[in-house]
Parts: sequence; structure tokens; C-alpha cells
Amino acid sequence: MYISDKNKQLNTYDAIVIGSGISGGWAAMELCKKGLKTLLLERGRDVKHVVDYPTAMLNPWDFKAGLNNTIKDRETDPVQSTAYSPADKHFYVSDAEHPYVQEKPFNWYRGYQVGGRSLTWGRQCYRLSDLDFEANHKDGFGVDWPIRYKDLEQWYSYAESFIGVSGNRENLPQLPDGEFLTPMELNCIEKHLGDSIRKHDEHRLLTIARVANLTRGWDHRGPCQNRNLCNRGCPFGGYFSSNSSTIPAAMATGNLTLRPFSIVTELLFDEHKQKAKGVRVIDTLSNEVHEFYAKIVFVNASTIATAGLLLNSVSSRFPDGFGNGSGQLGHNLMDHHSSAGAYGVHEAYTDQYYKGRRPCGFLIPRYRNLQDDKSLNFKRGYNIQGHGERQEWMDKAQSIDGFGEDFKAQLTTPGPWTIWMAGWGECLPYFDNKVSLDNFQKDKWGQPLLKIDFAFRENEHNMMTDIQQTSAEMFEKAGFKNIDTFNYNKPGGSTIHEMGTARMGHDPKTSVLNKFNQMHEAKNVFITDGSCMTSSACQNPSLTYMALTARASQFAYEQLKKGEL
Amino acid sequence: MNRRLYIKSVFGLAVAGAASFSIFKWVSMNRAIVPADLIHKKEMLAELAELIIPQTDTPGAKAAGVQDYIIAVMLNCTPAKEQNKFIDGIAELEDYTADQYGKEFLKCSLAERKAVLKHMAKNSSGYSYKILNKINNKLFGKPFFLKLRELTVEGYCQSRLGATQGLAYDYIPHTFDACIPLLKNQKSWATK
Repeated sequence: MYISDKNKQLNTYDAIVIGSGISGGWAAMELCKKGLKTLLLERGRDVKHVVDYPTAMLNPWDFKAGLNNTIKDRETDPVQSTAYSPADKHFYVSDAEHPYVQEKPFNWYRGYQVGGRSLTWGRQCYRLSDLDFEANHKDGFGVDWPIRYKDLEQWYSYAESFIGVSGNRENLPQLPDGEFLTPMELNCIEKHLGDSIRKHDEHRLLTIARVANLTRGWDHRGPCQNRNLCNRGCPFGGYFSSNSSTIPAAMATGNLTLRPFSIVTELLFDEHKQKAKGVRVIDTLSNEVHEFYAKIVFVNASTIATAGLLLNSVSSRFPDGFGNGSGQLGHNLMDHHSSAGAYGVHEAYTDQYYKGRRPCGFLIPRYRNLQDDKSLNFKRGYNIQGHGERQEWMDKAQSIDGFGEDFKAQLTTPGPWTIWMAGWGECLPYFDNKVSLDNFQKDKWGQPLLKIDFAFRENEHNMMTDIQQTSAEMFEKAGFKNIDTFNYNKPGGSTIHEMGTARMGHDPKTSVLNKFNQMHEAKNVFITDGSCMTSSACQNPSLTYMALTARASQFAYEQLKKGEL
Repeated sequence: MNRRLYIKSVFGLAVAGAASFSIFKWVSMNRAIVPADLIHKKEMLAELAELIIPQTDTPGAKAAGVQDYIIAVMLNCTPAKEQNKFIDGIAELEDYTADQYGKEFLKCSLAERKAVLKHMAKNSSGYSYKILNKINNKLFGKPFFLKLRELTVEGYCQSRLGATQGLAYDYIPHTFDACIPLLKNQKSWATK
């Protein structure tokens, strides 16, 4: 491809950010605010805040076949259709159009659009603690994190203060408090379970989830209207997304160029300077190939896609993938497991109800292995997430017999209080859990398909059994009836917390990134999506990505000013 | 022929020795249905749904248009196997009505219709073991009555009349009140 100097100039920016989801939006905003001319590349279409949320204000009866997916949907999108419904299908990719190879069953849920999965995320925001940052070092699984809590603490505060997180301070060493807006409120059955837990075990407590849903107006957004329709996009800006928050803020600086419909196929390496010089892009509308250049590149394509992009960027310096001198690129793939838990019914509080639809449940922070407990047959830990409610029509329809007036009367009145809860558990970093490229199968743009080879192991399975047992115990002690423990045995990917394929570490021989998310082998490349995670901890990870991104952006900017990049 | 018993016996044999299951039956269960077969039954489906969720002090299933929902979900969102099970269920109900009362279902009195549906409900109680029901439902689809009732409930509770009058609908709640006293005659919330 021939590029004239003039075109090259037109295609040159201070910074390029690949991907516009949670971490990419943050990178773009931070770099733009620092005055860098930034190109934000997104492979999907543009989604503008409010105007591109077509289902956000629809009523249940506006969906002619309810929220059932069609037979065709299930055939075309065997994976995505297990996550989407007609209400939010437009924020998920088509599996048929964007295939991947499952060496073992793996649900890779994706949203290729401006905002990525920040439109459909669960919005739970938890800090990691030194229990998590020191875990690999202490028990020897994986490499040591190159940072500790004190390195990230102020950046957590910075991220929380910008996005707006509601939550309750609990003063726990394993789950540090943050900058919180007024918490959402627990209902009476959740309080009841919480009281019982506090009475029976000093190491456990039940608290309201910490979520990026606003309990008051914040940064020209919100408050949350308690509709619990977040995954359709929120016209009130009641929760944080790239679309409602970071991208408009980046745009407001005048430094942002947003380019949707742009698949980045390769990072370009400058052999002379031993740095990245830019990216190659396929325009999905015109199928034209473009090159864009910049002083620094932030890769935020999301864990699996980031690994794929780097593996696909080969040169004489990097025959096995960009920055892959360690051989770790694509390896150590992790996802939390959230398949195991319990359900229970309680006979009390029949005179109590609620109004509004709180967009989150409760959290029982990690209580296992706070000190290494030799009596347990697994390492690390889990937290419990759940919610309490009265049985409504969708629950009752299965359990009431017959038909007619009596059936209708039962169906339309509140049933007993129930709680559903499950463990969100840590997954160890196994080298063999990995992403690689398929050398034979290509997608419609001629790019190799990604192969995902992932399985949970004994440690995760033992933890799931423990989750079932401890959940049931907590229910029993709180007087619940009809306790049912379950394990859905969902495959990897189902918790949508993929991470670890380009991990941080001290040593370039065993890791891809240093403590500032800077690539060991190409100093002007930064990776701050889930790929960078050295261990998975058990907390929902997005807040950590945001904090790491803000921190890495600051570092990159300073290095750039010093002429180091 | 009592189809239910037939299927149960086939199922039993299939478990005992998988080879006994007829390929013809399998193909026939998985054939695509003709939409008209279902659309022609709209009036009957409306009456059946109304028996399940009748008009009381709040609207019933018929007024809420549940028949349209049932047909939409059946035609667009239901695998062929279950569609066939459902169509066969309607045929069985019609046969039974003709046997018992010598007339069409729509010509029956309310009491007769109730008796017919009660018969169908009894016929779909399934096995006393939960796991066998699960396998049975998976292999052969949900029994007709249970499927009909499930769709009626979904269709009703998400319809405009069902959600706003049969239940309590809060379009934009604004606030969340975690614990409030249950009101007299409090209806369930339509959405969660």
C-alpha cells in the first residue's frame, strides 16, 4: 500500500485507542483530557447516548412474542442468544457473522459497537485488595502482581468519583471501601438474612451491592429511575457506560476522533525504533485497508480480541505475536465462575412488600481463605451475590395447580419471600487455558478465527461445592424453607469476566506487561483491558480496569512529555 | 388412541433399549407445522386461555388478546417438536370433546369446556418423579395443558390489560422503597 506524506499526516495522531468499551472509553477520555489528539477505533457501529437506545422506553406488551427469542435467533446466534432477548439483541454480535472456535464449550459474549459491553454490563464495582494482589506470590499459582493495593488506591477513588458508585462502607480488609454515593437499600428478607449471618459468623456480612447506578444526579447524569432495564441503554444516564459518560467527555475536549466500522487487524512495528508505529484497519463498510499512526497505542479490544490482535501482528522481531517474547500471550485465560448457589423460601414478613425495581442485589463479601485455611480443599475464594424478592407471576406459574378464578387470584398476588444467591468465584491462571489463532479458518474479512481452549479445574469445582454448602447453611440458620442448592455447570465465559491473556508482571520472561500496563517489549503500547490481569480475584473486574487505565494513561502521558516514548 | 399413554410406553422402551424408538415417529415429531393449522384455532385458543385466566373484577385472557401472543410465540419462537406436541394436543382435545359431548369445543357450554380442560390438565400431570418429567419434556416437549397455561400466563401478564389491571405496573418507578406495608388486595408487580 502506497501512502503519500500528506495522507500519512492526515492519518497521524498523538494516540490511538483500540476499542470503545469500558476501558477503551476511559483511555480515550484520559488521553484527550491531557490534550493528546486521540483516534478511538471501534469495529462496530456507532451507538449514540439516548438516541440509539430503541427499546429503552418500551412496555412489555410492545414485544409481540414477549421476550422470547425466535427459533432463527437461536440457530444464528447459538451463544449470544443465551444472553440476549428481543429487548437488547441489538447490543450483541451475531455468532454467524463473527464466528470463533470452541476447543471446549466457551460462551464468548460480545457487543461490537461504540460503548461495547459497557451498555450491558452488570455494573458491580468492587476494589481488589492486597489479599488478591499478594495471592499469586503467596501460594505460587501464576506470577506475582507487579503492583499492590497502595499503587491503585488513589486511582480507584479517581474512577469511582467520576463514574458514580452507590454503596455502603463496611471497613473490610478483603474488600476496601471506596468513594460511594448513598447506597441502595436492602429489603426486609435481605435484612433478615443479613442479621442472621452477622449473629452466626463474625467473619461474614451481607451488604448492598456496590453499583455504578446513581442514587443521585451526578456529572449531568441520573439519578437511576429504578426501572431495572439497564441493558437496553439508559435514557436517564442512570448508570455508567462509555456512551453516557467517558466518550462524551472525550468528545467535549475537541481532541477525539471516533472511527466506528474499523476492525484493527494488526499493530505495526517499527523495527528501527523498536516501537509500535500504528495500526492497520479494515473499514467494514468499504472493505478498504487503512493505516493510522501514533506515538502511543492503547489496546482495549477486550481480553480475547486483544490477544487475537497481538497474535495476529507478526514481524521479524515478533514472529509469535506482538510483544510475545515471554510466550505468555494468549495464555492464562480466566473467567469467574458463577454457576453454584442456593435458593430458599421464607414464611415470614408476609405483610411487607416493595415499590420500584432496584437494579442490583446484595453482596456477601469473600469469607473463605482470608487466612490460608488448610481444612479447605481449594485456594482463594468467592463472594456471594444474590437478591431477595417475593414470588411473582413468573415464579408462581410453575407451582400453582389448575386454572380458573382461583388460579388467577393466586397468580396475580405476591407469593412468599425468596432469596436466590450464587457464588462468584476466583479462577486460577492456568497456562493451558488459552486463546490462539486458527491457521485455516478465516472470517469474512480474511482474518484468522480465534480458538478458545478453556476449562475450569479441580480448584474451581471444589469451590463450587463449598459455595453450595455455605449458602445452604446460611439459609438454614436464617430459617429458610425448601432450600435448593444448584450448580448450573455453565461453561467458561458465562460470567463475561474474561481476563489474563497479556498479564502484568515484574519479569519480561514470564509476563507481557510491566507494572504500568506498558508492554515490556514495545514501550509505547499499553494494554489496560482484562488481558492485563495477573490473577482474577473474585470481584467483578471492570472497576479495576478503569483504575488501571487511568493510571496507565497518566504514566504514558508523562513518559511522552519526557520524550521517553 | 391415548397419545399420552402411547408416548409414555415409547419413552419407557426408549430407556430400556434405545433401538425400539421409531424413526418414523421422530421424523413426524420434528416436521414443521403449517401455520394455518394454528391460526385457524385462534378462537378456540382464546376460549381456552379465558378458562385459565377468566374475566373477574379485572380483564381476562381473551380481552387481553392472549390468543395472538400464543400464536406468535408458537410460530416464531418454538421448536418444531414442541409445535407438533401443541398441535397434537389441540387435536386430542377436539377428539375428546367430540367423544364426550358429540359437538365442537366452541359449541360446548362453559361447564362442558371446563370439564374438557380439566381432563387435559389431568392428562398432563406427568410422572411423579421430577427428573422423569424433565427428560420427558425435553424429549417430547411440555404436555399440552402445561404449555398452553404457560403461554397464557406469559401473554396475559405482559399484555397491556393484564399488566396494568390484572397486575400492578409501574412504568417509571423513580424511587425504590425497600420495605413497605402490603396494601389490602395488593396486586403483584407486573415486572421485576
